[in-house]
Amino acid sequence: MNQEQIVSENKTQENSILEVSHLEKSFGTHSVLKDISFRVHPGDVVSVIGASGSGKSTMLRCINLLEVPDGGSILYHGEDITARKMDVPAYRARVGMVFQSFNLFSNMTVLENCMVGQIKVAKKSKEEAKEKALRFLDKVGMSAYVNAKPRQLSGGQKQRVAIARALAMEPEILLFDEPTSALDPQMVGEVLEVMTALAKEGLTMIVVTHEMAFARDISSHVLFMADGVICEEGTPKQIFEQPKEEATKEFLARFRNML
Amino acid sequence: MISNMSFIERIFYILQKYGTSYLKGAGTTLVIALVSTFIGCIIGFLSGIIQTIPVDKKRDPLIKRVLLGIVNVILRIYIEVFRGTPMIVQAVFIYYGLAQVCNVQLGMWQAAFLVVSINTGAYMAESVRGGIISVDPGQMEGAKAIGMTHVQAMVNVILPQAFRNILPQIGNNLIINIKDTSVLSVISVVDLFFVHKSVSGALYTYFESATIVMAIYLTMTLITSRLLRLWEKKMDGGDNYELVDVMDIGSQLGKKESR
Ligand SMILES: Nc1ncnc2c1ncn2[C@@H]1O[C@H](COP(=O)(O)OP(=O)(O)OP(=O)(O)O)[C@@H](O)[C@H]1O
Ligand SMILES: [Mg+2]
Repeated sequence: MNQEQIVSENKTQENSILEVSHLEKSFGTHSVLKDISFRVHPGDVVSVIGASGSGKSTMLRCINLLEVPDGGSILYHGEDITARKMDVPAYRARVGMVFQSFNLFSNMTVLENCMVGQIKVAKKSKEEAKEKALRFLDKVGMSAYVNAKPRQLSGGQKQRVAIARALAMEPEILLFDEPTSALDPQMVGEVLEVMTALAKEGLTMIVVTHEMAFARDISSHVLFMADGVICEEGTPKQIFEQPKEEATKEFLARFRNML
Repeated sequence: MISNMSFIERIFYILQKYGTSYLKGAGTTLVIALVSTFIGCIIGFLSGIIQTIPVDKKRDPLIKRVLLGIVNVILRIYIEVFRGTPMIVQAVFIYYGLAQVCNVQLGMWQAAFLVVSINTGAYMAESVRGGIISVDPGQMEGAKAIGMTHVQAMVNVILPQAFRNILPQIGNNLIINIKDTSVLSVISVVDLFFVHKSVSGALYTYFESATIVMAIYLTMTLITSRLLRLWEKKMDGGDNYELVDVMDIGSQLGKKESR
């Protein structure tokens, strides 16, 4: 290893926002994640692809501590997030999450959904929270619906509000768990459009998705998961054009006509 | 002379002579029912909230888990005992028990509020617990994902929804309490039924007095259930929302103060 390589290696280690190493998680006797390791750097857009049941959601939920990892470590700027002294709510406020099922607060309006976290968690003033909420709702094209309740919105609209809600916390990294899987085909586009714009602006994201075109065109890095391990990883070019593993080729073959 | 009167005449006679007593009795009944249902709800919410505190075997200190365990056992016993015995027996048990064992002589109001509140609390505890559990788990995850603590998520997201879910049951309990305060006459609470017993005992007009009392109870419960319906409607809000003019939003974003 020459000098230059060592320097760049150190640099990536210092700069990484998240460093997942040897992550393990089981439900009862069912081992769902076995030895997952990867890093996320500022500005990265990491797409996670893989068959249903391969553990993609579980991995994302471990990162946000909605599931407690059984083994390995997740470092956030070098800090172990599973440590007892970790302030979990504060950490979650820095790491946003967008769910497949939106999870908008159904007792609040669109605007309130985007304000409540800022006021209660980030302790912002009402005026400031409102201004920021409106700015992000405008960004996802939902500012006309501030007074609507979630149940009055379409799926695509709900997901865009959910993204605005997450953005309003100004997270350092945003996790997406199949954000378009629960949507009718005609609504997928409007959500992907928003996500593409965010990626272009340099927001750091981890996106679990079945939208292969999105993974290929937008992400900087692709993880292919199979059976609780990262079977193959690399740039979109490497994964989609020269997959090395048999499992990757097989998985991608299913999407051939869509790419 | 009353023996020569017709049914209708007797009713008017009774009303003329004892009308204010009936009204006072009805007032007492209503106050006991309202106050006790309110206190019962508070007991129910506290109990339901405590019973749904999550325990994290890895992070929470042992003392918290042990304490919570003990409190939960006590709550279970309380709920089972007061749901599993008739309120009329509970009234006698508490009233004379306190006098004999603790040397505490309760006044009429104290006794009434205590017995009915404790009884209602036991029912509400189960309703609230059910109401909390029945809120979509995604709501809690959405709240946690933006950094809310368990308490913040409960106060801002879960409890308002649980409250709306169990509002019909609160109403139900109020109506049951309006009727069931009648059993308190065994500990000499001067409610509507007590007035009925006194009047019919003095005049030997059981049927006539019962007719009057039936009408009063029915009036109170009918009005109560109408009011509750209105409250539910109000909580649900309209089915429509106003689309906000995007230009408005723009100007609001420009200004610091929007009001
Ligand atoms: N709370 C849970 N309890 C028990 N088993 C679970 C739980 N959550 C997930 N699993 C199991 O873990 C495995 C991985 O699930 P996961 O949801 O992470 O897969 P996924 O890759 O996200 O799949 P999909 O593409 O269908 O969303 C599955 O076999 C699932 O049944
Ligand atoms: Mg999943």
